[in-house]
Amino acid sequence: VSAGAIPEGGLTRVEIDAVASGRGLSPAELEARLRADASSRQVVLLLYSVALGWLLIGSLFGDLASFKLHWPDLLTSWAPLTFGRVRTAHLHMVNYGWATAALIGTSLWLFPRLVHAELKGARLAMLGGVLFTVGVLLGIIGVLAGVNDGMEWMEGNRWLTAPFLVVGGGLIGLSLFRTAAARKAEHLYVSVWYILGSFVWFPMLYLTAKIYPWSGSTSAAVNWFYAHNVLGFWLTSMSVGAAYYFIPKVLGRPIYSYQLSLLGFWSLAMFYSLNGMHHLVGGPIPEWMITTSIVASIFMFIPVVATGINLHMTVLGRFGALRYSPTLRFVVLGGLAYTAVSLQGSLTALREVNRITHFTHWTVAHSHVGGYGFVTFVAFGAMYYIVPRLVGHEWPSARLIRWHFNLALAGIAIYVVALSWAGVAQGLALLDPKLPFQFSVVRAMPGLYGRSVGGVLMTLAHFVFAYHFWIMLRAPRGAAGPTRPPFHEAQPLLYAVEEPGR
Amino acid sequence: VVPSSLPVIILTAVFSLLPALILFWAYRRGYFRDLDAQSRIILEERDMQLERPWESPVERLTREVAHGPLVEPERGEWGGAS
Repeated sequence: VSAGAIPEGGLTRVEIDAVASGRGLSPAELEARLRADASSRQVVLLLYSVALGWLLIGSLFGDLASFKLHWPDLLTSWAPLTFGRVRTAHLHMVNYGWATAALIGTSLWLFPRLVHAELKGARLAMLGGVLFTVGVLLGIIGVLAGVNDGMEWMEGNRWLTAPFLVVGGGLIGLSLFRTAAARKAEHLYVSVWYILGSFVWFPMLYLTAKIYPWSGSTSAAVNWFYAHNVLGFWLTSMSVGAAYYFIPKVLGRPIYSYQLSLLGFWSLAMFYSLNGMHHLVGGPIPEWMITTSIVASIFMFIPVVATGINLHMTVLGRFGALRYSPTLRFVVLGGLAYTAVSLQGSLTALREVNRITHFTHWTVAHSHVGGYGFVTFVAFGAMYYIVPRLVGHEWPSARLIRWHFNLALAGIAIYVVALSWAGVAQGLALLDPKLPFQFSVVRAMPGLYGRSVGGVLMTLAHFVFAYHFWIMLRAPRGAAGPTRPPFHEAQPLLYAVEEPGR
Repeated sequence: VVPSSLPVIILTAVFSLLPALILFWAYRRGYFRDLDAQSRIILEERDMQLERPWESPVERLTREVAHGPLVEPERGEWGGAS
């Protein structure tokens, strides 16, 4: 039996006994683990495949939207390819198509392992995944055709998209809650709270925002209640839950402080929902709502610092592991981005900062630190760990992993630095009454070129990863991989172990 | 006419109070007892016995003393190509 690539089942009793004895497990424990892994295999592979498809198309749409900011006459004659639709379609593809599907897949794989039970209703979850994908597809077609609800982050038409997302997501959630009810584990690990919380929060958020046709300034308030909370209560919660699994698992040591992890979860759960109104600083809603939201945003230091300390202190002294594990490399960087984007978000909520950054490219850079640097990096890390265990062999190419990581990191770094600078320059120009509006556009232009360069690099990274995923799926079970870890030659700054022969 | 603040106040109250109630329920059900065991539930004995090439000799020895002889990791153990 090969590999960290543990097969998904179908072993004979003799093989199970042999493997169990080699791993210090009882045969029953190993069999339960294999069954747990096998129960989610198909739906996870389906969701990962769909997610990668959306990532590729969404990246191309993102690049096109970016090009249009410095080449405004590019592809303007056909309405579906105008900036407003292309940019919105990009957001839907990467948020609901890629990140959501990838993190649901990750959660479906993790959950049976965490609760020591098989995934209940795996076929329902599979159906849910298909319906969710259809909903995303219809929403995007609607956006490109000009049929949308006009609310940011949920432009998908309520009659076209919402039924599929609600039913599809509901079936997946049902499967997870049935699995939780059938759990055999005595203890609930913190990731279980994060995953279950996500599947309670998201339907509540989506339904309250979509069902009632809010209008006027109420619409803006509910819009940002949804749009901000979908980050914290959906993408963030699933990603942090995954990080809390993979970092200790790879390092072979428990997280630094389990108490802090619980503090992080419950303070996020109770206080995060107050944050959304800071997107409306200066907007037509009562001032006290915005002030409350700003105060709550500063409160977010508590869960963020608790989670940040925990993730980083767990890795402290083990940075050498980043040479051996792409999972750890992506997830640890994702954890750093989580700390950075959260603290940046809290500070951006302050009126003194917001008056410069509001309505500028800064916000786009900020959302990419979160959506890409954090969420997408954690999703990549999770896939590097999970896919070999689904298909029964390791990733075929260390070189492709290197290219993927380096292109993605370079891309997001260039993107964020260029666009953050452009946002501040643009904001300061907009605040100066002596300067014409055009000056703010010209001043931000170098940053917009940088955005395109970064975006193209990220897109290349995604094509590399998708190609690697494709050959991974096609390779025969048990296929041999390379002989050295992908980042073996990279010596981390904080790596202090003397290796023989180095 | 619904005041713009009312829906958000209600939604926020629900989103803040519901976790508080669940936290109280979970505490009463004993979900926060033995936190040390909870923190270790994802780690199998084999996870603790794996030889990790990035660990220092002292760290390896500590692991060996606590968990017995170290075992070789399998190919792709850490989520990537070997």
